[in-house]
Amino acid sequence: MSRKRTENDSESGPATSHVPVDRFGFLKQEHGNSPERFSKTRTTSSTDHDREERKVRKWRKMIGVGGSDWKHYVRRKPNVVKRRIRKGIPDCLRGLVWQLISGSRDLLLMNPGVYEQLVIYETSASELDIIRDISRTFPSHVFFQKRHGPGQRSLYNILKAYSVYDRDVGYVQGMGFIAGLLLLYMSEEDAFWLLVALLKGAVHAPMEGLYHAGLPLVQQYLFQLESLVKELIPKLGEHFTQEMINPSMYASQWFITVFSYSFPFPLALRIWDVFLSEGVKIVFKVGLALLKYCQDELVKLPFEKLIHALKNFPDDAMNPDTLLPLAYSIKVSKRLEELKLDYEKTNAKPVQP
Amino acid sequence: MATSGNKNINAKLVLLGDVGAGKSSLVLRFVKDQFVEFQESTIGAAFFSQTLAVNDATVKFEIWDTAGQERYHSLAPMYYRGAAAAIIVFDITNQASFERAKKWVQELQAQGNPNMVMALAGNKADLLDARKVSAEEAEIYAQENSLFFMETSAKTATNVKDIFYEIAKRLPRVQPAENPTGMVLPNGPGATAVSSSCCA
Repeated sequence: MSRKRTENDSESGPATSHVPVDRFGFLKQEHGNSPERFSKTRTTSSTDHDREERKVRKWRKMIGVGGSDWKHYVRRKPNVVKRRIRKGIPDCLRGLVWQLISGSRDLLLMNPGVYEQLVIYETSASELDIIRDISRTFPSHVFFQKRHGPGQRSLYNILKAYSVYDRDVGYVQGMGFIAGLLLLYMSEEDAFWLLVALLKGAVHAPMEGLYHAGLPLVQQYLFQLESLVKELIPKLGEHFTQEMINPSMYASQWFITVFSYSFPFPLALRIWDVFLSEGVKIVFKVGLALLKYCQDELVKLPFEKLIHALKNFPDDAMNPDTLLPLAYSIKVSKRLEELKLDYEKTNAKPVQP
Repeated sequence: MATSGNKNINAKLVLLGDVGAGKSSLVLRFVKDQFVEFQESTIGAAFFSQTLAVNDATVKFEIWDTAGQERYHSLAPMYYRGAAAAIIVFDITNQASFERAKKWVQELQAQGNPNMVMALAGNKADLLDARKVSAEEAEIYAQENSLFFMETSAKTATNVKDIFYEIAKRLPRVQPAENPTGMVLPNGPGATAVSSSCCA
């Protein structure tokens, strides 16, 4: 996945052969998810390399063989773990650590054979919907580009399996980007159980409400975000009101795909590290940090330019090493709780599955 | 709403229709004259603008491109409310997408702005061999429901500019008296009439 060029891809389709891709596998000429803009800062000098190697060694020690020491370490030194995750999980260990911190490993072990059953024997009412979206999920990534190639097949299998596993959710557009992101770091079955862990809430609040009919959790999150913008970035909040900018216009995809849609991939990965360990509040923090970082520009813009700017943040704003520290400095937990209660008071309870 | 200042008209337009009917592709063709075979799915909604000169005016379209899946339905009213025009898109190779288009037409007739200019686009007209919805059937439906119908192809650019041009011609040239606000914020306070404290 971290090849500079795809010289060894004789089996991938003609569209992808000899096309330069970045270190994550996205085609280089495409923008959107391409992290090309950060490649400048990634010229690995020997000191960088040493630092990276020390980091990986520390992480390996923390994890143990196949994750055997992880739980023990987390219990003993939760703050060390949290701090290290916030600095970014080494890319080579990311897939394993994601499974450990999300609780998906346990789900996998408790449910042997279940995934296979779902994929092979069950049929889903969403099959056609899924098929229609498969080639429209990360179309600029080599793994997902080839029609009916392994990437597209795995993506289809996971989404179909999930739509059977949880018929209330079924398949919802946006889930494909999450599944796709996971598939770049782990096997199909592992990715499936991580999806289950997230939607069913193995460790943090369940995400399934994002995808239920009426998108109840999206509505709640947008309400919370709008209030937080007004409280924490009041000038911008007021400008949004004047220009009639509703948070749904720019932030619904932040929540629905946890930044895996149309954000630079290196940033998305760093957000996912923290998202899996700390839960959805990082989505609020990152969103607020982006708005805060850009607010001097944003408050000058009229509606149309504003909408455009909110979907196309500048490169410097999306550099994880500046954005994330800013995000960590924004405290939201207490207000999120209070705003959730406010929201529930003013809105009828969402339909229970 | 379409607002006219002299001969400049700003018109909010929304695209609605089934998953994969080609809403984003139509916009991309109209705004950037581009086409990609595998257009990334639209999550939430996307905004574009494009200006067209018609005989007597310059029309600037402010376009909201929406997610097609039924599950996203609850987000749609925000985008069609107050819109001056709508393009309801279906895929001529997919009967279900035509049925879905009819549902959107019904909803707009019931909930949308009564003066809304509505266009029905039968997209993917280049895929004649796979056609499932006849032009006659769509044309009759359009006439019965006072919309206008065109078959389009974002891929070959057939009728794409034309459908926007036709909408531009049909937009009311005079602002309706009622002048409703463009968009209602769900939990917005009673429109705090703020003084122009913005720096800029």
